[in-house]
Amino acid sequence: MSSGSRSSRQRSHSSRISDDQIIQLVSKLRQLVPEIRNRRSDKVSASKVLQETCNYIKNLHREVDDLSERLGQLLSTIDADSAEAAIIRSLLSN
Amino acid sequence: MRNQRSVKQEFLRKWITGLRRYSCDEKKNMSFLERKKAIKLSADIAMASTRDKTTRWSQALIANASSSGDTLTGSSKNNSSRSRKKMLMMRRRRPKVKSAKKEMSASCIAKRLAEKRTRKLKNLLPGGESIDEGCLVEETLDYIESLRAQIEVMRYLVTASQLIINPYP
Repeated sequence: MSSGSRSSRQRSHSSRISDDQIIQLVSKLRQLVPEIRNRRSDKVSASKVLQETCNYIKNLHREVDDLSERLGQLLSTIDADSAEAAIIRSLLSN
Repeated sequence: MRNQRSVKQEFLRKWITGLRRYSCDEKKNMSFLERKKAIKLSADIAMASTRDKTTRWSQALIANASSSGDTLTGSSKNNSSRSRKKMLMMRRRRPKVKSAKKEMSASCIAKRLAEKRTRKLKNLLPGGESIDEGCLVEETLDYIESLRAQIEVMRYLVTASQLIINPYP
């Protein structure tokens, strides 16, 4: 008998990530971001990893936002065509 | 792992193309905020399009962008799922599930916490609402990788622009 404390609608598919996936996420994250370190390598709490991941993504979003802002200022002061063409050419050739 | 260098080049190319659509005369009259939004949006779309519809987040991002009236990609996606996604977005405010059971086991609590954080992660991904958990980790990793590449290229452009403005610092 459902105690009613869980909405069955939420459980249309399980919102549990499998342990394997957590391990995969952890190992990949550590490759990408050396700063994300675990206290012990084998015992990893799923929620902690998820939280680290969320924080990391939020930081990335913030950085994109910040860079867009800076570019907004910079690009407005550059004369459109000539400078942009120069940038593009040099960047694409790298 | 994709070849990051070619990805970045493709991204840069597409992004510049997108940016150009905003330049010409409009640029002079755009407010600072509008310009920032245009830059960010074209960057996001350019990055998403390098994925070539192979990931959910990139599809969702492009779909959301087209639905907001912007067609930087040139091809308008006919997404009937677009409105469905909007509905799902609105359903995000689910009622808080309060359990009065004090005798919940520790593992149960941990499980709930993991579920809560999984939801949080899904919310951060474009189109993450409707993603199923089997793909979530893969999508997340791909998204992170793309964001990192995007940021690198954007940083590069910042540096290059600064040099153009002030070649002899």
